[in-house]
Amino acid sequence: MSTNVIGKSITRPDAYDKVTGGKKYPVNYSLPGMLHMKILRSPYPHAKILSIDTSEAEKVAGVRGVLVPDDVPKQYFTPVYFVPHNAPSMVQDFVLMSDTVRWAGQPVAAVAAVSEDIAEQALELIDVEYEELPTVFDPEEAMKDGAPQLHEASPNNIAKAPSFAFGDMDAGFEEADHIFEGVYETQRVHTCYMEPRVCVVDSDTDGRLTVHSSMQHTFGLREKLAYALDIAESKVTVVKPTYIGGGFGGKLDIGFIEGLAALLSLKTGKPVRGEHSRGEDFISTTRNPIKVYLKTGVKKDSTYTARSIRSILDAGAHATHGSEVIMVHGLYGTFFPWKCPNQLWEGFTVYTNNMIGGGYRGYGAPQGCFAVESQNDEICETLGIDPIEFRLKNTHREGDPHPVLEGHKLASYKIEDCLRQGAERIGFDKRKPAGSSTEVKKRGIGFACHPLWVSGCVGFPDIYEHSGATVKLNRDGTADVISACVDLGSGQISMLTAVVAEELSLAPENVRVVYADTDTAPFDAPTHASRATYSAGLATKAAAVETKKRLFQAAAAVMEANAEDMVLEDGMVMVKGAPDSAIPMTDIIARAESPFIQVGEQGPAPTTIAEKGTIIGSASQAPPSNPSPVGAQFIELDVDTDTGVVEILRVVYSTDIGQVIHPNSAEGQVEGGFQQGMGYALMENLQFDQETGACLSADFLDYKIPTSMEMPANIESIFIDSNEPSGPYGGKSMSEMCLIVPAAAIANAVYNAIGVRITDLPITPEKILKALGKL
Amino acid sequence: MKQIIELDVNDEVHELAVEPYDSLLRTLRDRAGMQGTKRGCDSGGCGCCTVLVDGKAVYSCMTMVMSVIDKKITTVEGLPEDGELDPLQQAFIDAGAVQCGYCTCGIMMASKQLLADNPNPTEDEIRKGISGNLCRCTGYQKIIDAIKMAAAS
Repeated sequence: MSTNVIGKSITRPDAYDKVTGGKKYPVNYSLPGMLHMKILRSPYPHAKILSIDTSEAEKVAGVRGVLVPDDVPKQYFTPVYFVPHNAPSMVQDFVLMSDTVRWAGQPVAAVAAVSEDIAEQALELIDVEYEELPTVFDPEEAMKDGAPQLHEASPNNIAKAPSFAFGDMDAGFEEADHIFEGVYETQRVHTCYMEPRVCVVDSDTDGRLTVHSSMQHTFGLREKLAYALDIAESKVTVVKPTYIGGGFGGKLDIGFIEGLAALLSLKTGKPVRGEHSRGEDFISTTRNPIKVYLKTGVKKDSTYTARSIRSILDAGAHATHGSEVIMVHGLYGTFFPWKCPNQLWEGFTVYTNNMIGGGYRGYGAPQGCFAVESQNDEICETLGIDPIEFRLKNTHREGDPHPVLEGHKLASYKIEDCLRQGAERIGFDKRKPAGSSTEVKKRGIGFACHPLWVSGCVGFPDIYEHSGATVKLNRDGTADVISACVDLGSGQISMLTAVVAEELSLAPENVRVVYADTDTAPFDAPTHASRATYSAGLATKAAAVETKKRLFQAAAAVMEANAEDMVLEDGMVMVKGAPDSAIPMTDIIARAESPFIQVGEQGPAPTTIAEKGTIIGSASQAPPSNPSPVGAQFIELDVDTDTGVVEILRVVYSTDIGQVIHPNSAEGQVEGGFQQGMGYALMENLQFDQETGACLSADFLDYKIPTSMEMPANIESIFIDSNEPSGPYGGKSMSEMCLIVPAAAIANAVYNAIGVRITDLPITPEKILKALGKL
Repeated sequence: MKQIIELDVNDEVHELAVEPYDSLLRTLRDRAGMQGTKRGCDSGGCGCCTVLVDGKAVYSCMTMVMSVIDKKITTVEGLPEDGELDPLQQAFIDAGAVQCGYCTCGIMMASKQLLADNPNPTEDEIRKGISGNLCRCTGYQKIIDAIKMAAAS
């Protein structure tokens, strides 16, 4: 397909503003007379609040409002943005402020004051009397009879226990020549968006709210906030942030700040701003740890005969995302990516007195991929099978029926190319047998793939999946794009710009993604689930097509021709096959918006009624399918067996994401995704005191993420030549795939280096030395 | 109790009312209204707030404003000259080194000192030069490309 813009890496429209200071981050927003909110948080992980005395705090000069649990509507809901507040698949156990504390850090009071310092000072004067309750931090302990109970409605602390199965497990395992069993554990990690969660909420005298926030979903915030406050949705306007300082899933549910700031604004009549400290951010969202018990039967010919999977997810104090992470982990992380005739998966979302889990890029799949791909590597090692051929024997093929979505096909699915091209680039055939090096620094090569993922949420019964956009042409030949799709930094502005520029034959610099809010823009689901390019891209393309139709109607009136015969090329509208008829599209736009006499270069000229009306088009639609990206990542690394330190030397990631819309951004996704994946694999771990539940790593000095020093010099992206027939210009999704595979790939490469397998993340120097018998 | 100070930021003297315990970061953002310098952690861990003090890159969140009132502060707003972007700024755009962009200004300020001290740094020197700045979007690769590009220009 010949394109002008798609596939060409246009200059990011937001880059200039960002390198000159970046005015439009939510953290920069302020209003005259604005108050500052601070939140008092519980030091105990499980307690009943007996009393709260705020009288001394209220006396502090400059304090304008105080909130305690009694002031908050007792609306129980799920705070997750991408589902309705009462979605049957979710657990409605969350309330904005409760008098039962279930995790250390839970908000128990909030103060609004004229300055942050005064608000903080007032917090210290609030006297809370707690009755401590027994605690449980380990989900398997929490499931036992007699464990401390967190929520009355959930005996044994099991918030949700989904399962699915097919085939005959007994027969399947009987048929197996070999059976492999293992337990694979992952830890609590933070998304580490750089811009803190922040909001400014203003209220009108009639109770209408206007919200500026750093969140990943404008419409989700409107819905959840209205529900939490028990007011009509139409009374809440959420303004889309022009961009935000990262999200990665960590800003995918209503934080406490929006609801509490809204109540304080209503109480004081002033705008109220809430901003998390980094410590508050660290205890507000995490990838759910999942412990996976995995048992697989394999035949001598390398095919699976049976697999049973038991996944225990630590939800923390409230189910929130844990209700859905467990499903995605089961469906797309472990069960359906691979072809196995007999399978059983059982999942458990379990309450503990840990912090609440949240969304994080990959949403349950990295935990699944780590388990399955670690065990696949064990199977191949033990049986001496070629690991690439083994994957190919047990994965789907292009054209196969989609394993989850009935009636859909894997229309673009180049897993074999991903594996073979990646293997060739890294030199996989030259890798040495596991643990064979006699050097102190041992070289390892390993890989992992993930054969099934999503481009959005078609097929998930409870999850919103539609997008909309309006595209308007201006008289100066530029286009405005109104879309509620939030740019997290991953390039949604560039993508929308490229789509509209391509469709309307415009230079990208003449397309502008403009202001949007929940009053004026069509609904858009959150920027999550790798959905924006596919879903928002398709809807915005459809809006541009409508705009073009309107342009042709106006042109038809001017040219006295049929709109159906028109084409748009290089900014010129013409009758197809008649280049002499060409008129600049700017002339048509200008005439459509002029009074009846238009003054042009040739002087005043009459125009007609038929050509009048702004050239504008809108679309709001769900995408037709949910095409799977696939990818395989190959790693070369050294393990220093004296220190246990792993040094990543080279990364090759080959993916099928369909037609690449913006190659530079796609590479950026691979490279940034690897930074997060490497942190997950080797170093990141939110740690908590097991007595007090207090977070021990709530800043970047204690929570280490890879810096430029640890990152490898070579991260190579291979984009397989592919085209997704249902996607915008053949494109499908990308982002999450870049974080699903790295941990498994690194773990397999570490095994190849040292010949010992680590099955719990992160793979720290201590664990490596212990595995080598050196500690 | 606030005090009035004079602070030289980007060759312009600002008269500002500050608390004696205010950090340079808070002074720039909340008192002087210069929001190009970002607050990421407020505890010397991320580098989003990096500015130059007499040409040396510092974490402005860990610098008390009272300790720099006689010094020259340079922030991202001071990078362009005569309306032209600094070569670093242009290179960050051209290399695609900006994703969410929240770390970008801090990294450019750290790079500014790096290139002033060492106009032709090796890749290892660049990596070391920005190792006090975290980025969660890019994996640093395109940032390093941008700094190389700026050095070459």
